[in-house]
Amino acid sequence: MKPKSSIKLKRALAGLCVLAASGMAHAQDAALDLSMPTESKASHSFILAANDAPANLPASVTSSSPKAEFEPSFFTADNLHQYMGFATLALVAGAALSAPGEGCEGAACATAPKQPRQTNGTHAQLAKAAAAMAAFTVTDGLLTYWKDFHMEDGFSDPDNLHVMLGTVGAAMMMYAVNKSANSKTPVSHAGIAELGGVAMAVAVKLTW
Amino acid sequence: MLKKIKIAALMSSALFLATAAHAGETTSEWLLSFERMKGVKPVTDKKYAKECGECHFAYQPGLLPAKSWDKLLNAQALKNHFGDNAEMDAATLEAVHDYAVNNAAETSWYKRARKIAVSTASGPAPLRITETRYIARVHEDIPAKMIKGNKDVKSLSMCNACHTQAAKGVFDSDTVNIPNYPDWD
Repeated sequence: MKPKSSIKLKRALAGLCVLAASGMAHAQDAALDLSMPTESKASHSFILAANDAPANLPASVTSSSPKAEFEPSFFTADNLHQYMGFATLALVAGAALSAPGEGCEGAACATAPKQPRQTNGTHAQLAKAAAAMAAFTVTDGLLTYWKDFHMEDGFSDPDNLHVMLGTVGAAMMMYAVNKSANSKTPVSHAGIAELGGVAMAVAVKLTW
Repeated sequence: MLKKIKIAALMSSALFLATAAHAGETTSEWLLSFERMKGVKPVTDKKYAKECGECHFAYQPGLLPAKSWDKLLNAQALKNHFGDNAEMDAATLEAVHDYAVNNAAETSWYKRARKIAVSTASGPAPLRITETRYIARVHEDIPAKMIKGNKDVKSLSMCNACHTQAAKGVFDSDTVNIPNYPDWD
């Protein structure tokens, strides 16, 4: 049975992770239009030809249509890592919310009937998925962004912090899952898993 | 079960409230903000945008540290601003200088501005954005033919020639479109 403070801590952690994941909401500062005014010879030609008479211009001038707007791809190596990070945080939040033990507070714990230990329930499945997704995300990040990691920039560099916190967070989650899965009796593993989740959330925030 | 639904509802409310918060530049505002701050802060000052943008892309102040803006934006330096005379009246110069210094890299929580601040913290003030260690490093793998040899780019200083969202302060690699080299990466 878990004490009341542990349950509150878990809810707070779940909230933090979901809030971090909410960064999906994309909001940019209202930027001024900084583009340079573009005037081409073709546009001048059209101005000169803007009268009632049909413009009799060579095809090389009239066909100078503007270049198509560049549309960033929805699915790139950049945003794959981002989606994996959000998926990890969502799974962490799910695992925290589905953790057994709610409702047992104070003296009630002593008299409450002991529940059989679930090693394959929703919480366990979500926790394993979160740890696995965290490992995949870290691996993908290391492979894709290795060139952004430079120790010469020190610990205050946001990318360096992101790598370190993300790796530590994933390791802590995997340790917590492993600790619980390999024990025949319930063991305390929530603290380390929650810390891992927080480390992951902070890592996301640092480079968001 | 009801408790969990209540918790989920509370978190959803917090999420909506948090996303409504406008991103600021203080630590607490940054921490509580969910606004995307991966690039540099876009230019929001009309005078700065007008004065600088008349001749070139109005580089965001977060692209250089304050010590660089101090060296670049003074009456003497503007007489020879990279080969051109860019003098302006005293009041305008003060406004432009103050905006640049107050929003310089080290004052910003935007990620790329922070990286520039870290990479320029020591050593002399760089006078060109392309001289900063971070900017030089992230462009070092790009062949010269795509920049200097590219008639639609010509120089690394033409940020917005390839960074399609440079004006918004977004410099992610997936928003890069090098003219004449669509498959550059």
